[in-house]
Amino acid sequence: MGIEYAVKKLGQSIATIFFVLTFNFFLFRILPGNPFALLFRGPGFSRELVNQLNSQFGLDQPLWLQYVKYLENTLVGNLGISYTYRSPVLDILIPRLMNTVILLLTATVISVALGIGMGLIAGWRRGGKIDLAFSTSTLLLYSMPTFWLGLILLFVGVIYFGLPVSGMVSLNGELANPLAPASIVDLLRHMVLPCLTLVLGLTGEYVLIMKGSLLDVFTEDYMLTAKAKGISNAKLLRDHAFKNAALPMTTLIAINLGLAVGGAIQTETIFTWPGIGLLTYQALLTRDYPVLQGCFLVVAVAVILMNFLADLLYGYLDPRIRTA
Amino acid sequence: MVGVLSKLVTILTSVFMFALLFQVPMHPARAQTSPDTFSIGWDSSPIDQINPMLTTLYDGGAWVVSHIIYDKLVQSDSYGNIIPDLADNWTYVDPQTITFSLARNATWHDGVPFTANDVVFTINHVIANQAIYPHIGQYVQNIASARAIDNYTLQIKLKAPDATFFSASLLQLIIVPQHIWASYTGNFSTYTDLPPIGTGPFKFVSWEPNSYVQLDANPNYFRGAPHIKHLIIRYYTSVNAMVLALQSGEIDLTSPLLPPTVVASLTSNPGIQVFTRPDLRYFYLTFNEFPNGTGNPTLRDERVRQALEHAVDKNELAQRVWLGFAQVLNTVVPTSLGSWHNPNTPDYTFDLNMSAKILDDAGYKVGPDGIRVSPSGVKMIYRIDVPSDYSEEYRAAQLIAGWWGQIGVKATPRLMDSGSLGNEEAAWQHDVVLWTWSADFLDPSYFLSMFTTSQDMCTPGCLGDAGWSNATYDKLFTQQSQETDPAVRKQIIYQLQDILTAHAVYDPLYDNDAINGFRADLFTGIPPGVIPPFFYFGESGLLLSVHPIGMATETTSSMSTGTTATVSTPGIGTDAIMGLIVVLIVVIVAAIVYGRRKKAQT
Repeated sequence: MGIEYAVKKLGQSIATIFFVLTFNFFLFRILPGNPFALLFRGPGFSRELVNQLNSQFGLDQPLWLQYVKYLENTLVGNLGISYTYRSPVLDILIPRLMNTVILLLTATVISVALGIGMGLIAGWRRGGKIDLAFSTSTLLLYSMPTFWLGLILLFVGVIYFGLPVSGMVSLNGELANPLAPASIVDLLRHMVLPCLTLVLGLTGEYVLIMKGSLLDVFTEDYMLTAKAKGISNAKLLRDHAFKNAALPMTTLIAINLGLAVGGAIQTETIFTWPGIGLLTYQALLTRDYPVLQGCFLVVAVAVILMNFLADLLYGYLDPRIRTA
Repeated sequence: MVGVLSKLVTILTSVFMFALLFQVPMHPARAQTSPDTFSIGWDSSPIDQINPMLTTLYDGGAWVVSHIIYDKLVQSDSYGNIIPDLADNWTYVDPQTITFSLARNATWHDGVPFTANDVVFTINHVIANQAIYPHIGQYVQNIASARAIDNYTLQIKLKAPDATFFSASLLQLIIVPQHIWASYTGNFSTYTDLPPIGTGPFKFVSWEPNSYVQLDANPNYFRGAPHIKHLIIRYYTSVNAMVLALQSGEIDLTSPLLPPTVVASLTSNPGIQVFTRPDLRYFYLTFNEFPNGTGNPTLRDERVRQALEHAVDKNELAQRVWLGFAQVLNTVVPTSLGSWHNPNTPDYTFDLNMSAKILDDAGYKVGPDGIRVSPSGVKMIYRIDVPSDYSEEYRAAQLIAGWWGQIGVKATPRLMDSGSLGNEEAAWQHDVVLWTWSADFLDPSYFLSMFTTSQDMCTPGCLGDAGWSNATYDKLFTQQSQETDPAVRKQIIYQLQDILTAHAVYDPLYDNDAINGFRADLFTGIPPGVIPPFFYFGESGLLLSVHPIGMATETTSSMSTGTTATVSTPGIGTDAIMGLIVVLIVVIVAAIVYGRRKKAQT
């Protein structure tokens, strides 16, 4: 693969990250209200106390100066100190990122597998009853609002299946070893509902894209040629149709994996799953700029990185792109 | 074919959904925790840090947790009375000097004995770090010095006599261990204080920010070990999830308060007891009376405000907005502050004719468009701004606008982000605002302080949002703040409330209830009283007397006062029912649309 191609893509990625940094910085400051102005209504607070906190965190300085400082700090890997947690943003982000990856990776793997499988069958048996059943059900689930689907699953799962309501662990006052078999089973029990919510929402997209690109491939002349050569159906699907139809799926999976790092805000909020999505939601409520910037930066970097990898993978999968 | 299929799907789904609806209600099983573990759900501001000195909000998770782990010199009982905590008793040497005799058997969670030196250290530490402790720092502002006479005798000298020293300052001032805090050399504004070492009834075990805190009973607690072994505070992002967790046994008590709409679904579970106590806050209407403000100037006329107050039906508001779970108020001191609230202050009765008459007499005539105009030609057109974090109050603003419309006043309710609304008030640009004040302590001084000239006449604004000033009020306020005889002080506090209502400075609307659900089938021993439970988690009362059912204790298992409701109608929560109905509608609509589209194609 051409080095020039990779370098060009890398340059584009870095430029995008810089743009995102700048955009986020100003975006959160356009939001009405400031983290400490919100405290003012708290009992025993006064405007002098608010001003004192503002200067403690440098919020009384001109915006451009705050921006320059922010860029400087970000470059050396210092994402700042959270206004509410009073600890470095990176220390808050990393454990949350792990929690999100556990949940989202599982959900993505399941829904990709399901999506490809169902999409292949639906495409192969296009127009048939199975296609109808798969396409309608996934389309219906795909178009359902996540928070609403999540709430329904929460009620049904808790009331009729005795699943836990929230969080990642059951608490009984003891410190449990997270690697003990019982703890892992407990974690899996907590994962069922949020994971199901995500899988139901994500699968539809994969089914539809898989089916769509498969149908495109089927109309190609080389498929007819292959069929005329007497190649078996299974081989035809695997070697000729699937390989070509897999290209758009690569992009979709890459983008979704990148976005997955940002957590699913709605799902994490409903199930109080302590991931990046929930962190973002809470930081937004308290106008915790450093945490918000940190969360958005992580998401942006993940999406851009995954796109960069997808571009490289694309070049590998499709020789036409390399030479173009 | 497709039509038949989708109809079939619809019918099957409906049957399934209705089957769900009429199934046996959830059995109050308790799979998740052991019987001596008491779990509290929490859905207010998140538990984002543990350091007690950095807590900023009284309803913040951090505040609640640190008040359980740490003790103060004094605490409040469930009726709001000041009772001993680390201080066994105290005497006033003179109005500015207090001698405390301290508990002799208190130890820190690491085994080191507690002494008067810890208190002296704490007070000096907060005084020295006021710049980074803006919130807790204000409670030491009136302390001139603190001195340990011996290990268990402490003397505090005040700068001026202070009526609120116990009920406000000492109730907030958490005592930290000198042997741990004095050895920290870093910046205290980012001190995590992990693990926190206190003297309280529960010891720190583990904490996952914004998820949960696990605590264990302190067997050496100097006032006797708690009956429960483990205490868990679990954070929920939605009140629906918290209610579900109570029903499924994941938690045993909700906090800080539930909306009145979930009461019906909780009472359907026979194991759950719903109890209510007045919250430490109240909702009010403020009028922009500031002389140089840019709000509608007619509001500076006292007669106009009185007329507007006659045109607000507070009983109706309490019924419609809080479904009756609120106490109508005649003064700015809410009923939750017990005897500090003056029940005899005459209020403006709801009377639209009287209201119209006051305006007619004052020369505010109805114009050709039906809107009244002041003698100087200003139309009575107002905005009623409501902060978006209290969106349920928008309904109240709409009802008020309706009544005012009937007396020729045009009012438009508007939801605003609270940060922007605060800025608008500070610049005196508002007309009428519906907002709330809450207290972090059991003293009326905070609620009354915002009407003093120094707090209500600043540009940009200080604490107050009325822009009102009155010399008699200021004088009486200063007088009460230095009056150490509670009976005399109460008379002055009553007078202050009378003045405010007579001048229609605010229109105090109501004081809502803190509604909570409790697993009465598993635990007992919530002390009777009036203070909402979330406030006295930190006061040992609740957590020391709660115990699992079936465990023999000396505590009488008396239940809370207030509304109790344990109706045993089977059925799952209204939220679930509503959700399922919505599922049905969506499925039916989707099926119809899909069927039609297919038909059109063929």
